[in-house]
Amino acid sequence: MNASVVPGATQDERATRILVIEDDLETAEEIAACLTASGFEAAKCFDGAEGLKTAMSQPFDAITLDRMLPGLDGLEVVRALREAGSEAPVLMVSALSDVDDRVDGLRAGGDDYLIKPFAPKELVARLEVLLRRHRRQQGSGDGAVETRLQVADLELDLVKREAYRAGRTIELLPMEFQLLEFMMRNAGQLLTRRMIFETVWEYYFDPGTNLINVHVGKLRRKIDLPGLTSLIRTERGQGYMLHAP
Amino acid sequence: MRHSVLGRLNEVWRTSTFRLSLLYGALFTVGAVALLAMVYVRSAVYLTHRVDDILAAQAAAEMHEPQDRLKPTLDEALAINGRNSVFALFAADRTRETGNLRTLPHGLEPGGRPVEMSATPDFPAASRLIAKRLSSGEILVVGRDINQLREIRRIIASALIWSGVFIILAGLAGGAAFSLGPIRRLRELQAAGHDIAAGDLKRRMPTSNHGDELDMFAGTVNYMLGEVERLMSEVKTSSETIAHDLRTPLTRARAQLHRLEQSPQVSPDEIARVTAELDEVLERFIAILRISELETRARSAGFAPVQLDRIVSQVGELYQPLAEEADLRFQVVAPASPPVEADGKLLVEALSNLVDNAIKFTPAGGAVRLALETGPAGPRIVVQDNGPGVPQGERTAVLQRFYRAERDRLTPGSGLGLSIVAAIVRLHRFRLELQDADPGLRVVIDCHADPITG
Repeated sequence: MNASVVPGATQDERATRILVIEDDLETAEEIAACLTASGFEAAKCFDGAEGLKTAMSQPFDAITLDRMLPGLDGLEVVRALREAGSEAPVLMVSALSDVDDRVDGLRAGGDDYLIKPFAPKELVARLEVLLRRHRRQQGSGDGAVETRLQVADLELDLVKREAYRAGRTIELLPMEFQLLEFMMRNAGQLLTRRMIFETVWEYYFDPGTNLINVHVGKLRRKIDLPGLTSLIRTERGQGYMLHAP
Repeated sequence: MRHSVLGRLNEVWRTSTFRLSLLYGALFTVGAVALLAMVYVRSAVYLTHRVDDILAAQAAAEMHEPQDRLKPTLDEALAINGRNSVFALFAADRTRETGNLRTLPHGLEPGGRPVEMSATPDFPAASRLIAKRLSSGEILVVGRDINQLREIRRIIASALIWSGVFIILAGLAGGAAFSLGPIRRLRELQAAGHDIAAGDLKRRMPTSNHGDELDMFAGTVNYMLGEVERLMSEVKTSSETIAHDLRTPLTRARAQLHRLEQSPQVSPDEIARVTAELDEVLERFIAILRISELETRARSAGFAPVQLDRIVSQVGELYQPLAEEADLRFQVVAPASPPVEADGKLLVEALSNLVDNAIKFTPAGGAVRLALETGPAGPRIVVQDNGPGVPQGERTAVLQRFYRAERDRLTPGSGLGLSIVAAIVRLHRFRLELQDADPGLRVVIDCHADPITG
């Protein structure tokens, strides 16, 4: 993975700290190992009350929170955290995949909702996107509204809704524009098919592997014109990454 | 024995038929008693009035007799009517002058109200008397035998009491008798209930041909039992299906892992194959969970008016590139249509599954059509392909919980797409039908909610 995408390195010297609240020991261990491998520092808690206490007493950059926990359940934990003024992004993890359950999770104060079973890579990718968004929101306190995105020679005009590659205008359908915007905002970041489907199309069912591949493939043919370096990279079996060469 | 008799009585007492009969009997008794009491009072008052009128008329007649003719007239009247009438004349000092009354009875005042007197030696029957003061100062007493009047009153009163007693007893007995039937029926229902609770799901509540409230109730319970039996057998078959479906990839994964364990070096490709097997299992589990979620969801949770044409075009846009890549003609027809109460996101999920299936199973060069049409009963959505279709015999089966069609077993994915579609359609109370497009499969969703049946 590109060094610039390790979130810990983009801020100060301190590594990004993630709190994993998960009652299944094996899963918690797996998540923590994957986080450590991606350059995060991970702390684990195995029930809701302990998790809440830890989250309140130490600074964490983000939290992954299982929804169904013994004692205090995930919804209550995130609600209590938000009431206490914590702004750390929270990734809810749950076996409940219904839209209503998602809405409950997000309404309680969660920032994203990941359905079990999941690949640990997916969890890391979602955390990274959350951290990015969180930092962007905190950084944009000066009131400046982003009007342009740029990755290498690919430019996106958010006001005129136009895209340019190496100075040439690219014709994009509305959905393609949204897809490109999402990928450019998270340049250098692995984006899974499910993340793309949920963020760009806002549907939360399993669309099958091929659907997103085809949409990204179509976008790629428009962006990665012949003779130019490819910007959209396929991470086999995981998803896609748009990155500067 | 005593205990069981008491228990029986207690049971009778608690039936609603008995209580209703009792209440009815009580109301009837009150009504009958009120009626008889009125007859009694009315007739007694009427008869008494008539006696009083006669007495007043006789007294008046006597008073009009001249002073010297009075005594002979009285004697004459006594001679004729002395057995059932009283005629007597008393001097101003209340000593008797003539007549069949020895003394002026106590309480009888000249010009006052009539008085009733029981039999005396002079007059052997109960009598009703009035007294009048004559201009001479003498007191004239006129009276009549009222035994007959008393007899009539007694007859009415006893009729009243006996009929009251009879009505109450008949009410109790009738109530008890009427309760025995329902109690017997309840016993039968209870027995059937015990059998069913013990696991005999084929058993049904017995019904009679009366069509009464117990029959209606038993009918409802039987309908419910039918549903329970259907669901139980579905759960059983679906558990078997799940177990069977999961065993295959799990066994394969296990065998591969075992082989890897034995081999000195492991290639990433081999691990990837095992992971793919397990991914398939997980994918199927997610689909199974999804179906269960859909089935336990309250129907109208996320329902709102939905523009079906917008749903259809969204799904069309979503799958256009996939169809292009598969080299299929993909036709989307979405004319404007009135809104329908539905959960839009779920409809998109259902249509996505159908279109995804159609694209997956139609060979290159074929055609897939997604159309919003107007059916006889309302809007309907049709997904049609010209692929191999689903054999007639399998068409109803693929809509069952967790059923994987034969053709799905050979392609990647959970194979439970149609089960998810069926669950979503059921949640909406829409109708889902698989038809032969000759060649190909035609799936029709009738988008108007059926009323609850049964």
